[in-house]
Amino acid sequence: MKRIYVCRDEVTGLLSALYDAWRGVVVDGVPECGIRFRGCIEQELFCEYTEVEESEKKARAVERLILRNLGWYAYKLIYQAALSTDALKGDAILGAMLEARKIPDSRRIMDHLGNAQVEKVFELSRNVGDEVHRWLQFLRFGELENGIMFSRFEPKNRVLTCVAPHFADRFCLENWMIYDETHQEYVVHEAGKQWVLVTGEELNEELAGRYSDGERMFRELWHRFTDSIAIEERRNPGCQMGHLPLWYRKNMVEFLSV
Amino acid sequence: MRIMEELSVMEKLEILTDAAKYDVACTSSGTDRAGDGSGIGNCVKAGLCHSFAADGRCISLLKILFTNECIFDCKYCLNRRSNDVPRTSFTPEEVCELTIEFYRRNYIEGLFLSSGVLHSPDYTMELIYSALYKLRYEKRFQGYIHVKAIPGASLELVRRVGYLADRMSVNLEFATAEGLKKLAPHKTRKNILAPMRMVQNGVTQNRYEIQSYRGAPRFVPAGQSTQMIIGATPETDYEILHVAESLYKKFDLKRVFYSAFVHLNDDRELPARTGEGPPLLREHRLYQADWLLRYYHFEASEILSEKEPNFNVLFDPKCNWALRHLEQFPVEVNRAGYEMLLRVPGLGYRSAQRIVRARRFGMLDFADLKKMGVVLKRAMYFLTCNGRMMYPTKLEEDYIARNLLNTGQKLPEGADGMTYRQMSLFDDVRFGGGFHEENLCVQG
Ligand code: SF4
Repeated sequence: MKRIYVCRDEVTGLLSALYDAWRGVVVDGVPECGIRFRGCIEQELFCEYTEVEESEKKARAVERLILRNLGWYAYKLIYQAALSTDALKGDAILGAMLEARKIPDSRRIMDHLGNAQVEKVFELSRNVGDEVHRWLQFLRFGELENGIMFSRFEPKNRVLTCVAPHFADRFCLENWMIYDETHQEYVVHEAGKQWVLVTGEELNEELAGRYSDGERMFRELWHRFTDSIAIEERRNPGCQMGHLPLWYRKNMVEFLSV
Repeated sequence: MRIMEELSVMEKLEILTDAAKYDVACTSSGTDRAGDGSGIGNCVKAGLCHSFAADGRCISLLKILFTNECIFDCKYCLNRRSNDVPRTSFTPEEVCELTIEFYRRNYIEGLFLSSGVLHSPDYTMELIYSALYKLRYEKRFQGYIHVKAIPGASLELVRRVGYLADRMSVNLEFATAEGLKKLAPHKTRKNILAPMRMVQNGVTQNRYEIQSYRGAPRFVPAGQSTQMIIGATPETDYEILHVAESLYKKFDLKRVFYSAFVHLNDDRELPARTGEGPPLLREHRLYQADWLLRYYHFEASEILSEKEPNFNVLFDPKCNWALRHLEQFPVEVNRAGYEMLLRVPGLGYRSAQRIVRARRFGMLDFADLKKMGVVLKRAMYFLTCNGRMMYPTKLEEDYIARNLLNTGQKLPEGADGMTYRQMSLFDDVRFGGGFHEENLCVQG
């Protein structure tokens, strides 16, 4: 019978499920394993469901397994795929890991795109990577009254931890904070320190709405700039839309009225 | 000349942005540089666009002129001295503040600073130097800076500015010296090529310095670019592309930009207004051909020739090349060399790389290609997998040309029922403006 491992949809949960499922196949010889997330399970017939006991220890073990056998490149792709919104990403990652055992050089696994599961991991990771890249471009910060640079966004995939390192390097001497409204978590960066991920705390909307005196002026300057830079004779809203779909614009200063 | 006293920063920004917008710049093919922890900013080699303007062009840099005062009189330019427009200048302090405040809000990747010629080329270059010096050393800005070298400025000044910038550019403006003489009477080929050569040599020498001792200051690490105006002078596409090719080869340029001529001034030296708007399709084809030079191992002489000096309206340069070289097709996916795969219409270099990697694991068929995300819409006419084509296809010019057109390239009136040879006569010179396509961005 197919065995399905059920976990929470976040990195530690998924990695723990991969740990259990890997053991299921490799050690216990279960013919078919799957991974589903709590809260979005479509019950299938002839399946046995087991809850995953999640732990950092299991998660680290799987990370080591991947790094050792599949290498850094595959690890990076798998990690990104794990942040995707796709409900069946666990199956794909497990499938790719199992496929790697069958090829002569397991570090080449991500080139083996003829395999459907490998291809899916690749696709998911590319999708997440694209979104990360977009947010590096389109995220906007505003200066709050207390001097903190604050940004909020609504990503589709859980990309916050992929976005943060870029800004930590770029704005290393600033106090800043990015709030992910979709998954309700933030990254907080104190000047000169490492960034930290904060989950399960609500955003103080009142504080986050109080901008500094200068903020308004710079927003207006930016507005003027983006208006003036367009060449009227080349006007092309379709092209603009193609590059910058509406859903990215929600918190972009130049598309809000001042 | 109307020099505006006491303008607010807001008004200056509007004027000096408006005056700078015809210059093309792009942060891609740039440079990677992590922050050193002592200031603000870093650089990303792939480049980041932070927004898109209403004309669909990407916004990645604060693109401004230091001043729009100018002693030169380039016929095509809004700021030429014979124009009666409001004139103003930033102070170095204002340039720094705008750059830093926009940057820390993640509006921009950095600064693009150009300028009209105030008093003299050297005087202007000094001003630019002082603004950049302040930005780099007082504000500790480590983001991307693209700066223009002013033609005629002393090479020593250009060199000093080069140590503060990531990229420098001197605009070639036109593919021929006659074009330049006619439309930019105060600029000379010599004044343009001298700083270009100086920057090229500086970069080479700097590479050696960096190897010899750690912490050597970097000189123009993102290399140099230039720009040509398209459609204000009678040069053919072949001439333009040929010049671009030699700039890449002989001056190690990172990028050549093409800027469709926008009619701003009435001047008898300029072509008559046609009401068709800027030649955007022509510009687009030049960018496509430029890609072929830089990433697809094409030579300019393969793309155009003296006999066929202008781009085709209907087919992009790669398609056009393939249609004229059908004897080299179809290409076998499982065996063809990487360079040949690159020449297949519709196959990008990413797809080609993926194919080369994936086929090590076994024979690929069309279903595999699809799974890998390879788009076959156009490529299928030129490929076989294990000796078979995707659909029974005739390897015949007219047949393929017609099918390629059906995949979305719009047909001009009267092109129905023509053969490929007839269609290939539609070159861009005969089809002016009115062109819009999704991907006019010049990234890459
Ligand atoms: S030098 Fe020529 S192109 Fe540059 S601002 Fe002056 S008139 Fe315009």
